Amino acid sequence: MDISQLDPHCQAILEEYRDNLPLFRESAEKIHTLLENTFREAGLMVAAIEYRVKSEDSLAGKLELKGAKYKSLQDITDIIGLRVITFYIDDVDKVASAVERLFKVDWDNTVDKRKVHEIDSFGYLSLHYICYLDGAPYRFEIQLRTVLQHAWANMNHDTGYKSGVEVPREYLSNLNRLAGMLELADEQFSKIRTELNDYRRRVQALVASGNLDDVPLDGDTFRSYLNLGPFTSLNKKIAAVNQAEIQEVSLMPYLTVFKGLNCKTLGDISRLIKTYSEGAYQIACYQIGLTDLDIISSSLGPQDLCIAYLLKSGAGKAGVRYLFEMLNGPSESNEMLAEMLMDQAQDLPFMNQ
Amino acid sequence: MEVQINKQDNVTTVELIGRLDTPASAEVSKALEPVAADAAGTIILDCKDLEYISSSGLRIFLVLRKAAAAQGGKVIVKSINKDIRNVFMMTGFLNLFQIED
Repeated sequence: MDISQLDPHCQAILEEYRDNLPLFRESAEKIHTLLENTFREAGLMVAAIEYRVKSEDSLAGKLELKGAKYKSLQDITDIIGLRVITFYIDDVDKVASAVERLFKVDWDNTVDKRKVHEIDSFGYLSLHYICYLDGAPYRFEIQLRTVLQHAWANMNHDTGYKSGVEVPREYLSNLNRLAGMLELADEQFSKIRTELNDYRRRVQALVASGNLDDVPLDGDTFRSYLNLGPFTSLNKKIAAVNQAEIQEVSLMPYLTVFKGLNCKTLGDISRLIKTYSEGAYQIACYQIGLTDLDIISSSLGPQDLCIAYLLKSGAGKAGVRYLFEMLNGPSESNEMLAEMLMDQAQDLPFMNQ
Repeated sequence: MEVQINKQDNVTTVELIGRLDTPASAEVSKALEPVAADAAGTIILDCKDLEYISSSGLRIFLVLRKAAAAQGGKVIVKSINKDIRNVFMMTGFLNLFQIED
């Protein structure tokens, strides 16, 4: 737009904006960093924190439309704008309380659009805070919304109130229905997260109390079980053979392996460890005892445990090959490794007991 | 021991030729420093001419694995011979890397 066509009052506001632009940019960055650090320290994961300083063009446009409404630049509260986009609807309230703690809020102008929208229309569910800038006579805006609200707001932006074109009623009705669906989805995501957290807590309690037969084997329960270090003792015993260093790695790939070995509960794995640790140790001794290898990974214990079980239970070469396929994907070499292990097994005491 | 590094787009191919034993590992480790520093893409450790690997060699592989994991990249170990595959199995290293024939 042609800025020279603005009246002198608006020109003065624009001039003040230009003079303070470095302050606005620096403040926006500072607030962004402060929010980022606060969320990180609180362990709160958000989808995004966006920030921007209103462009001169955009401000001029606003002044052209309703310049008379503003006495000075201080009356315009969205020169600095930030937006926190959360994954979960519950987190909007957590972010809100952080904002209230971190900044001085201008409550007269802060709007919880979640509460004011009409009951028969979804509207634009977000929470807009207006806060005071520290050490300067200006205010800034922080919008809080979920990713779904954000998606809705962006789509609605093109079709709704800002387009300047009247939208047919039928179209609006469809948009509102979609909005209702997103609102429901937001609630469901939060509900699922809460239920999952409850489940994890219950499982952790069961694992900690040692009732492993009551704990079904799945990703969550296996992770909790691994926190107890069920293979540590076996790994340490194996490492002691060559005074080897143990390289800790994730044992989560063994979830599929133990399921493949028909373990249904954590109790099944616990029994496997009890029964086959000696066999696993003998396999490891046989293999590395005469080498100078002084590094092992923490997956050696569970690997040799599974091998011991397969050998002893008569699964044979096919069983051992299947284990390597589960761990490393299909390869012709798996057959070779399985064959070698079958040969070695004949010399191992646990196989002959 | 010889190391040849070739980077094309996002893929760094490292050819390891000879015996990666303890005396060779210091030199190899140094040669691979730039690869570890720029490990956001795919690193292919081409082992078709690698005859032997010691614990020090395994440690070098691990350093690359850690660097790649930290930078969002990945390490593929390619064409290891029977003895080296055996060493990987004996030490529990087999499922730490994507191993390709």
